[in-house]
Amino acid sequence: MKEKMCYELNGETMVIHLPRELDHHVVQMIRNQTDCFFDSKRIRNVVFDYGNTSFMDSSGIGLVMGKYKEVRYLNGNIYIACVNQRVARVLEISGLYRVAILVKNVEEAFEEIEEVNEKVSV
Amino acid sequence: MDEYMVLEFDGDSRNESFARVTVAAFVTRLDPTLEEIADIKTAVSEAVTNCVIHGYESKGGRIRIETRLLDRTVTITVKDFGIGIENISLAMEPLYTTKPEMDRSGMGFAFMEAFMDELSVDSQPGEGTTVVMKKRIGVIEDKSSEIE
Repeated sequence: MKEKMCYELNGETMVIHLPRELDHHVVQMIRNQTDCFFDSKRIRNVVFDYGNTSFMDSSGIGLVMGKYKEVRYLNGNIYIACVNQRVARVLEISGLYRVAILVKNVEEAFEEIEEVNEKVSV
Repeated sequence: MDEYMVLEFDGDSRNESFARVTVAAFVTRLDPTLEEIADIKTAVSEAVTNCVIHGYESKGGRIRIETRLLDRTVTITVKDFGIGIENISLAMEPLYTTKPEMDRSGMGFAFMEAFMDELSVDSQPGEGTTVVMKKRIGVIEDKSSEIE
């Protein structure tokens, strides 16, 4: 079974569409695939799209924390979108909501990013 | 009713999903809720990942899972024969990790504790680590029948 990942780069924002099952094995692949973007581009915000995700263990928490460490030096944010009940429970236990912003969907994340950018430019 | 299942496999990260799905399939005969199954899958995934990353330091090795169903309690023993843990209480502290460079959250044991009813860890440096987790299935239903 191959898990399919999908990434989008929009300006300084990267959207990571997460696969159905998010464990250590899959997180390693996501890290390998995204590291080159973070090394070569200025990425200030990361949106994690959990729309397809039905399983996640603490490896998924580590993934978000790792990206948080990268974006916080650029004063960026982490957004968590489309969480179902199960993912929400895992996120709650982890305390990740303290560092990441919960949004309904990817569009809402981009609206928030735009608002933040406008405030900065004013 | 006492039922027993043993699973032994290589400590390859691809087997993390194999292990949790197999244990979950075995536990299904206790008629658990979807939430209980998800809890067990998460806890097994945490325990097996620890064997792969820490016990064998991603170099592979044998992992053995024993699952026992007795009445409505599932007991899952996850065992590796790897490097072991020097300081178990430190390893179990939330957010403590020896592998921050791998983006590990340090939440593995905390998740096992959160999703299971009981957790015990036994380890000998150089010999390996054994994690025993227990969970009662359908506890709420049992309580209501006791009241009657």
